[in-house]
This record gives sequence, structure tokens and C-alpha cells, in this order.
Amino acid sequence: MRDDTKLRADLRLVLDAQAERLDAARPGAVARQEKRGRWTARRAVEAIADQDSFVEYGGLVRPATKGMEGAADGLVMGTAKVGGRPVDMVLYDYSVYAGTQSAMNHAKISRMFMHAEKHRLPVVCWLDGGGARPHDMHVTARPSTPTFVVFARLSGLVPTVGISPGRAFAGHANLAGLCDVLIATEDSAMGMAGPPLVEAALGKKYTPEEIGPASVHWASGVIDILVKDEAEAIAAAKKYLGYFDMQQPAGEASDQTVLRDMVPENPRRAYNVRTVIQALCDIDSVMEVKAGYGKAAVTAFGRIAGRTVGIVANQPMYLAGAMDTPACLKMARFIQICDAFDIPLVVLCDTPGLMVGPEVEKTGLMRHSARVLSALANATVPVLTVVLRKAYGLGYYIMGSRPLEPAILVAWPTAEFGGMGLEGAVNIIYAKELEAAATPEERTELHASLTAELKRSNTAVESGAKFLYDDVIDPADTRDILVKTLETLPQPAPRAMRKRVIEPF
Amino acid sequence: MAKLEAKSEVSGFVWKVETELGKRVAKGDTLILIESMKMEIPVLAEADGVVVKIAVEEGAAVNEGNTVAVLEV
Repeated sequence: MRDDTKLRADLRLVLDAQAERLDAARPGAVARQEKRGRWTARRAVEAIADQDSFVEYGGLVRPATKGMEGAADGLVMGTAKVGGRPVDMVLYDYSVYAGTQSAMNHAKISRMFMHAEKHRLPVVCWLDGGGARPHDMHVTARPSTPTFVVFARLSGLVPTVGISPGRAFAGHANLAGLCDVLIATEDSAMGMAGPPLVEAALGKKYTPEEIGPASVHWASGVIDILVKDEAEAIAAAKKYLGYFDMQQPAGEASDQTVLRDMVPENPRRAYNVRTVIQALCDIDSVMEVKAGYGKAAVTAFGRIAGRTVGIVANQPMYLAGAMDTPACLKMARFIQICDAFDIPLVVLCDTPGLMVGPEVEKTGLMRHSARVLSALANATVPVLTVVLRKAYGLGYYIMGSRPLEPAILVAWPTAEFGGMGLEGAVNIIYAKELEAAATPEERTELHASLTAELKRSNTAVESGAKFLYDDVIDPADTRDILVKTLETLPQPAPRAMRKRVIEPF
Repeated sequence: MAKLEAKSEVSGFVWKVETELGKRVAKGDTLILIESMKMEIPVLAEADGVVVKIAVEEGAAVNEGNTVAVLEV
């Protein structure tokens, strides 16, 4: 047992200084955070880190500007374990000058990011604060802080997770924008600048929530995971970090026979591809990212028999699964994350193709669809493709088709393959015959019979006979085939070099 | 008894009303079919309940997020 009653003066000085930064010594600051309805940074540390695993760095640091006081200068940081795996954590403390970025806490956070780079540790950022602290503007070190550069260089090297539990503006928003995955609470607000700067620039007063509410960032694709509160945010961050434990014991799956009826018999009837993803993955293992954006696609992390996978799927409920610019941007970046960290990709294809028409051209789809193809063509991580229904045109080519050399390419009985929709193809192939029809009724009838004929020669089995797929399978066997295929793909050795950078968007 | 709004996930036209007022429905039942991009997109009951309102008519235009029916659950 330690006896703390008789301490030397030098040790007493240290222990007192250490105690001062803790919530117990700062009842006023804790009360202010509680009044905002928010957690303190240290409460978040307790919730994120495994018990007794947190080792604090820079806890004694004081503000550089004379006359200012603030525990750890507004940034709680250190190493910890999350789910048994080591991480670096940085948490801005809103109770110290609104969590602002100061000269000293920039030096701290840069130190932590460099530490993460050197020791290859994932980084969790708690981004609760309002950008630069004006009082420190004359501290020489601040304008040359490497914070953002060092953090940007972590991209693809180690997983980075941001949590926006309240307000993240300016510098905090810049960090948020660099994170691989950004988690935000529903009542949070973020933006390039807060009210004073916006008013100076635009001459109009806004509240932080009017400038950048979570709803706006959810719809724009900035937020990856939207949660109710701090507890949910932390649970989501832990779940995400857990995927980097690539092989866990195999989980249970739900009844696989339901997969046989997931694609409706009526080819015009849409279905929610999320139900397919849930059925294929271990129960409770799925985590969708950017569900509020690019809705014609679904991107999710999950586990299949305990192995981490990234799932990229078309969503027939939205635009019939046609790939528009938001869907392409979402897929391309998700693929980059999976490739960077050697997470195998499961591609679920049901797309009539890339979206067409003058409106999508205005969105730059030519370039953005190319991002998905480029991401997959240059990825070295294995791709496992399942064609659920439509596999048309360049859309299918991009969605894990044969030229992309998937580890396996299988199709369900409902798979339809074509360069374009069969109705449209009939119009072109039989243009002369259709033109020659005597009446519009006859033309319609001829078109229908020609389409039906094309469909008969275009069943999944016929396509299998032409070796378009490695096999056509019972949907109820899909998971089993994915498991067996994943077992043929050994986990790659830990990388000495970064494989790739992940674009911020 | 709580009211549960069934919303369309997509913009399009109401293709078919597949339920009726007062009908008891189970979670996952199709309430309304929306037509968009030559596809029929079902709006499903998110819970067991009774249809207390049908907010759209066949052929009507709907926007993403519009309520198309209300259940009492």
C-alpha cells in the first residue's frame, strides 16, 4: 500500500498539479458542461478507454498567453486501449475557452499525431470546440503549427475516427473533414467558421445551428454516422475500431433461406438491399456509413463468419439503383478505406447502369463514376461479387465485373445481364422490323414478343453457360460461398509502408 | 396507441395503394407502391398496426420523405 500522508514537497507539488486538471477539482467547469447538456472531455475518456488503460500526455500544460488558466490547456490526450487494442486519443475540452485551439494545445495534438504515425496507432478525435483561440494570435508558434499536415498524413496509415459531440467549427471542422469516419450527434453543429466570422464575411448573424446543423452534414455526406448522443457516438466509434480486428470468432447468421425471396419475382418491384446485407453478415455486425447521402448505393462494414468485410451495394429502392454522382462518390471513398486497410470487399450488384440525362452531366458524373472504377481497378484487396439482379452496362462493369478480377463472381437466379436494358436493346437491334410494323398496336406487340424472346435467351443459367459468372447459385448458399472464398484469401502481413491515401471525400 | 407515419423513401408517383383504411397490417407488409425510374418501390409497414390514414391517391406525385400513410401501432 502507498502511504500518501507523508509526502516530500516536490512530489506533493506534482500530485497537486495532476489533481487540478481532473473533473473533481473543477466543479464549476463540469457544471457549465452539464448545463449545456454535454459531457466533459474526461467523462468521454472514461467511456472510450478500457478501464485503467488511459495514460495522459501533456496534462500539466497551461495556456501560453499570460493570465489565462485552463486545465491541460483545453486538450485531454494520451494513449489508451479500446476493446483491448491500443489507440491514441485527443479530446478538446469545451470547458476551457470553448475548446479552442491554442498555441500550446496545437503543440500537444501535433505530438500525439506524430506519435500515432510513428507507432501506427489508430486515432480517436473528440472535436468539441470553436476553432482558433483569438487570445493566442501573437504567440509565435501558432501560425506554423503542423497539426493539420501531420493529421492529413495519417490518412491510409492508421484508422482515424472523429466524433462531433457538440460544436466543431473552423480548425475543429478541418480535423473532422480529414477523419476516415466522422460520427456526429443529431444536435451537433459544424462549419468552416462560427457566427463571428460568418457575420464579418457575409454581414448576417447566424447561430451555429443555422450555419451547419447535423442534418445538413448528414445529407451532404460529411457525417458518416449520425447518433442520438455521446454514449451512442462512443459506441459507434468502438464498433468501427473493432473492424480493424480483422478476424473475430464467427458470429451467428440469420436463416439463409429468406435470401431466396429477397429479390421479388416481379422484375419491376424494388426491394431494400439492406435486408440482403443484414442476412449475409453475422447478426449485429453491420455498420452502415453515409446512409443519409448517395442513397442509390449502400456502403457498410460488417463481418462474415467473424471476418471483417466492406460491403458496396446498389440500392434498388432509390433511382432503381442507377449510379449517380453522390452514390459514386460514396462508393469510391468507401472502397479506398477498405483497400487502405486490407478489408475485403463484397460487391452486391443490382444496377440498371450509370444514371443518364442532362441533369447528371451537370454533376460531373463522367469523372465521379470514373472514381469508382479507378478505386476498384487499382485496389489490391480481394473483391467478391454477387449479382443480385440487374447487371447492365458500364454500371455492372464497375460493380465488380469479370475484368476487375474479383476473387469470385457469382449470380443469383434473378440475374439479368446486358449492355443496356433489354427493352431499349430491342428498340435498337430490331429498329427496322419495328419500323415496318403496320400499326402502333402491332409494333407494341412485336416489341413485347422480341423482348420476351431476348429475356428467354438471357436467363442467369444461359449467362452461366457463357461463363459470364463463376457460378449461378442458390441465394441461400451465398454466405457459405463467401465464407469459403474468404478462407482461400489469407490475411495479408502487416504493412511496413502505407498502401494508399484515402481522399477526404 | 402511437401514430406511425409511413414515408416514401423516393420521389415519384403513387402507382398503387395496396392497403385500405382500417386494415390491420403486419410489419413488412406493403402499404403503397411508388413508381420511380420504371420501378415499383414499396413503402412498407415498419410495425404491426392498423391503417388510420391513407395520405395519397393513385397517380399523385410524392416527394422523398412525404408521408403516404399513417398507422396506429
